[in-house]
Amino acid sequence: MPKCIKSEGQAVDYASKLLPPEEEEPFEVHLKGCPDCTEAVQSFRAVLQLTDTAQAELRVPELALQDIEMNVYKRLAAAHERTLLSRVRASIPNFGSFFRWYRTAAASTVVIALITIALLWGELFSPEPEQLLPDTQSAVARIEQYRQQDIQRNLEEAFITHHLRNDAWETESRLHRMKEHAHGTNWLKVADAHLQNLQSGTLNTP
Amino acid sequence: MFIAGIMDKLIDDEMLVAQFQSGRQNAFDELMKRYKAKIFSYLLRSVRNYEDAEDITIEVFFKAYRALDNWQPKAKFSTWLYKIASNLAIDYHRTKGRHPVYALEDMEIPEANLVATDLHSDPVQQVEEQERGRIIREAVDQLSPKQKAVFMLSRYEGLQLKEVAETLDMAEGTVKIHLHRAVKRLQTLLRPLWENNEI
Repeated sequence: MPKCIKSEGQAVDYASKLLPPEEEEPFEVHLKGCPDCTEAVQSFRAVLQLTDTAQAELRVPELALQDIEMNVYKRLAAAHERTLLSRVRASIPNFGSFFRWYRTAAASTVVIALITIALLWGELFSPEPEQLLPDTQSAVARIEQYRQQDIQRNLEEAFITHHLRNDAWETESRLHRMKEHAHGTNWLKVADAHLQNLQSGTLNTP
Repeated sequence: MFIAGIMDKLIDDEMLVAQFQSGRQNAFDELMKRYKAKIFSYLLRSVRNYEDAEDITIEVFFKAYRALDNWQPKAKFSTWLYKIASNLAIDYHRTKGRHPVYALEDMEIPEANLVATDLHSDPVQQVEEQERGRIIREAVDQLSPKQKAVFMLSRYEGLQLKEVAETLDMAEGTVKIHLHRAVKRLQTLLRPLWENNEI
């Protein structure tokens, strides 16, 4: 049987629901009398259904999403610190070789170096006009804010999983996660106490 | 604070960007909240590795944050974000020097996928479904990088063809050609398998 002269692309578009509205009706009329195109559309639809199902199975774990914001701010804070460090390094002149070459002019060199340092010092601490980088302090504040949110969310989740779902494994894992974020705070003691209570079977809502 | 949170949900992305540009930090947080799952899932489909997808997602928002001050609303914010993600995914494949198909065999299955959602579910059927999904995803990985990017963005990220074209710096006609070729190639790859009841 000869292949239909209609474009296969049109069949793909129709199966993908991408055919322009004005082309839809004429194509549907054509389909009624064309087994080639009907088969092509059915086949493309089957392909798309298979790939849709397979891709839907690739789920993003909820836990992985929770730390994204905090990690973005950590990345920004680290980049800001690196920028500052590189500017400090770049602004320190190499005095050793300078003095070896110009021993006789040491006194005047010191004066020049002092003036240079004073100038660079001013430039070093002037704001960067070209970028809207957070200063380290505000990025750290953001990180702390997300850390506190994580601690509280994991504590709440631990109690929900314990009392509503009676899921000891998930409760323990939530409390351990809370501990990870709680280092250096009083929440660490709270998490430890809840973990002990969980193990002894006496965990209750605070 | 609570009211500001509700208001953030009601206003569009471009307005949030304008607020960020005028110094309101929380606007960026709302943008991250809106797009982190979408970008993560797009990258997961592209790089097929959870840890790398997470790292690149962080990099996308890091780059967006640093460039947002100079961002002009020539296209939608989401299109711009997908563009950053696409470029980073291309860099990833280039530097790793591997096609994602090779990463499939050692791909870690997240905990969420291992937990039975239905107590009456049949474990054999579950394993078969996972295997079927793996074969189909391998077929998608065999598309050329451009075909795959077009197919993913238009099919799973809900981008219009025009937006896909802007994201990938292509003409709209070229996007359509890549899409047609992608579906036809998938048909060629998968048809023998479903005709033999292998998937």
